[in-house]
Formats: sequence, C-alpha cells, structure tokens
Amino acid sequence: MHHLELDHWSRGDGYLHRRDARAKLLGLLSLLLIVALTPTAYAPWLWLYGFVPLTGLCASRIPLARALAFAAAVLPFALPVALVQWPVAGWAKTLALVEKSYVSALAALALVATTPLPKLAQGLISLGAPRFLVLVTQFVYRYLFVVSEQSQHVRLAAASRGADRTVRFSGDRLRTAAGALGALFARSYQRAEGTYQAMLARGFSGRIHTVELSHLTRKDLGFLVLIVIGSLSIYKVIVLVNQWSL
Amino acid sequence: MHIPDGFLTPAVLGASAAAGAAAVGLASRRAQKGADEGRAPKLGILGAFVFAAQMINFPVGAGTTGHLLGSALLTITLGPAASIVVMTAILIIQALIFQDGGILALGANVLNMAVVGTGAAWLPYRLLGGSRLRDAGVFLAGFCSVMGAAAATLGSLILSDVHIPVMLGSLSLSLFGVNALVEGLVTVAVVRLLTRMNAEWTPAPPPLSSRGVAGFGIVAALLAAVGGLLASAAPDGLEGLAEQIGITERARLLLASPLAGYEAAFVTNPWLSQAVAGLAGLALTFAGLTALSRILARRKGG
Repeated sequence: MHHLELDHWSRGDGYLHRRDARAKLLGLLSLLLIVALTPTAYAPWLWLYGFVPLTGLCASRIPLARALAFAAAVLPFALPVALVQWPVAGWAKTLALVEKSYVSALAALALVATTPLPKLAQGLISLGAPRFLVLVTQFVYRYLFVVSEQSQHVRLAAASRGADRTVRFSGDRLRTAAGALGALFARSYQRAEGTYQAMLARGFSGRIHTVELSHLTRKDLGFLVLIVIGSLSIYKVIVLVNQWSL
Repeated sequence: MHIPDGFLTPAVLGASAAAGAAAVGLASRRAQKGADEGRAPKLGILGAFVFAAQMINFPVGAGTTGHLLGSALLTITLGPAASIVVMTAILIIQALIFQDGGILALGANVLNMAVVGTGAAWLPYRLLGGSRLRDAGVFLAGFCSVMGAAAATLGSLILSDVHIPVMLGSLSLSLFGVNALVEGLVTVAVVRLLTRMNAEWTPAPPPLSSRGVAGFGIVAALLAAVGGLLASAAPDGLEGLAEQIGITERARLLLASPLAGYEAAFVTNPWLSQAVAGLAGLALTFAGLTALSRILARRKGG
C-alpha cells in the first residue's frame, strides 16, 4: 500500500532524511513558487524543474521508478482539464499545466518520502502553522487506516449479505448505507472518547508536549540555499534554451 | 474538486491562501476552546471517520455509485469551527500523502472545500436545525455543502483563466448536483440514526440571536446594494434564447412597475438605480414574509 511504502521510505538515512524538516518545507515552497511564476511560454522546458526533486530522491536512495509512479496520481485530474484548454488556449498552456502539476507532485513526494510525519508536524508548527490544526492532522493520519479497515469490514459484511447485487438506487440501500455510516460513526466516537480517557489516565494535562527533534544546522541552511539557487539556475537555463530554440 | 498546482494564477493562489489561512486560524482558536488541546484526538478520529466513510458506496442510478463527502455531517456534529479544522486536516493529508490536490493550491482547496463548504452547510442548518423543519435543514446542509464547494472550485479555475467549455461546465455542475442530492439524503438518514442512538451527537444549533438576524440583514442589504456592480450584464439563458430566435419583441408588459428590469425608474444614476431597486425588493420581501408568518402564527394560536 502506498502509505506503507512512504512510511518505510521516510525512515531511511539519505541526504534529505538528515535535513531539518523546516529547511525541506521552505525549499519545497521556494521551488513551487519559482515553477508557478515561470511563464507558460516556456512550456516545452518546464520538465527541467523535475531534476530538483529527482536529485534529492536519488541522493536519499528512494526508488525512482516507484516515486515517479506515485507522483503520477495527479494526472487523472490534471490531464483532462489540461486537454480541454488546447483548442482555446493552445498546446503550450496544456503542456504547462501537466508539467507544473507533475513537478509539484514529485516535489511533495520528495518531502514526504524523506520526512517522518512527527518531524514534518514539528516543522510545520515551528514555521507558524496553528498547533491545534497540526495535532488534529496527526491524529487523522494515525487513525485513518484503523477506521478505514473497519469500513472495509462493513463493506465486506454488506457484500456477503447481497448488498452489491442491486445496482438501482432505493430507499433500502440508502437506509443500509446510513446504518453502516451510523455504526462506523458510533465506533469512531467511542474510540475517540476511549483515547481521550487513556490520555487522561496517563497524566495528560490538556496540552500535548513535543520534543524538539532537530536543530537547524549550517548544512540545512546550505541545502535551502542550494534549492533556491538550483531552481533559479534552471529558470535561467530554460530562458536561454527557449531563446536559442526560437 | 481538489485543484492541483499549476492551474491557478499567482494572484488567485495568494488571495485564496491569505483568506484560507485567516479563516482556518480563527476556526482553530474557536475549535480548541481555550488552551485545552484535549479535543485534538476526538476531532482527529472523526476526521478519520470521514475519510473511511467515503469508502462506503451505494448506487445512484445509471451504473454509477455515490458516497458521503462528510463536511455537512461534521458541521452538524462538531460545529462549524471544528468542521473547518478537521476538513483542513483531511485536505493536508490528501495533498501530502495521496497527491490529491496541490501544495501551493492547498490554500485555495481549503478555502473552497473546508471554509465555503462548511459555511454553506452551516447556514441552512443554523436557520432550520432547531425548528420543525430540521430534516429540511439537514438536507440543505448536505446539498449546499457540495454545491457551494463545487461553485467555489469552478470559480477559482475560471478566475485563473482556465477555460471550461460550456458543455463540460454544465456536465460538471449536473454531476455535482446529483452528488449534492445524494449527500443531502444520506446526511438526513445518518443524522436521524445518530439522533436516535445519542441525541448529544447531533445537537440542535443555538437559536438565532437578534445580532445574528441583524448580521444576515446587513449582508443581504450589502449584496442588494453592491452586488449589481459585480453582476454580469449578459442576458440570462431564456432572454438569450429569445434574442437568438427573434421573439423578444413579442413580450408584452401587463403591469408597469417603477422597479421594472431591477432599476428604479426615478433615479438617473445607473448604479444607484439598481441599488435602490434591490433594496426596495429586499424590504418588500421582508415585509411580505413577516406579515405572512404573523398571519400563520395567529391562525395556529387559535
């Protein structure tokens, strides 16, 4: 499963793994901003920005083919919307939309594949994200697969009782689905209450304390500068190549 | 509905991110209820429920299936502030882990789906959820959450000069409409069930205070007075069709009104003329509905 692989990759020990989450987050934002601000006229060369996350993934020993495949998850939405631009806005805009969305997905993957979620959360809080929001995000991720597995059991139970055989919408199907959702909600709510009681029993005082997991070093700042200079250099190369090809 | 990176212009990205961040910051403070972070596990697990609930499909006809999206259910069970926080958390995970939605576009996606979607759900539930029309309020909450988010998403794309052919736009809105109907019906069924299991899970909204009513009134007045500046001057579908097939001159005016065509005939300034007509219409509608509700209340009282 996708998330299990990402989780496994994030616990590696490559170049990006050793960088502070804040530097990686700021590096990601810098790259994406430069990509976003690059004019559509340079559409044939926008794929060159992909070398930034690809270099990071290589240096961190992340399987490139799998990473490229994961990033392609963005294409089912991006491709159709980009294609309908062609008759009106031209092929350049179509190509630019696809390239920009893919490079962005690859860059985000490079971040998530080399940063365990607790470190990413700490980095977000350090950069000013609302602490409460980040905590809720962590709990959503923590219980996402637990509750999803329960939902799979509900689907299986319904299918084994013939629920999948009818393809027409009916009041009975609606009530059955509502009953399944209601049961899933009740279990989730009870789990939430139980989790909260367990935290109280372990001395939870109303505030979740986190340990500072890493410090910004000169290598991290150097990495950030490298990303910005690298992205700007690629922009310069794109401009020159575009001029040369005209 | 998740917009990837590369589709929105820097201006739309910036404005959406600023508006989204402000709304989420405010919602986060309200949802936390002071310094207590103890609500985080409950909101997180219910966010995981929404994710999982999207896996339970049911047929909606024509060989397709639908599923609950969940923002209306979150709004009704947790309140609008907590719903915005949970939906934002879900969108962050979808963008980072599942590459569903862009990173720079996260601000726009949060604004469209978490903030507008929750607001569109809360409004009808706030108005009707405490009355005998509760089921209608719940249905409208589900319906409006989907249509509001869809309209906001399409709006972001259009503002960024992403061309959406009329046929594709109509098809998208129709599909969203079907999803919205399904969302409304499923939300009603689930809320009824949850209320039977434990009434505390689906609390009625607090009664509308006089400040709340005044707030609605101010917003309505502003829309009536200023909305005309933003409205399109193009004819609507029926008028456009009448012009195309050449039957416009057959229209007959049976009753002349000083506010014909949504313009006050006695005001020369174009904007002021529309504003006066809009405010007059608002006042007449308010007076008529107030009178009707008093007559009905008197009849009901005996």
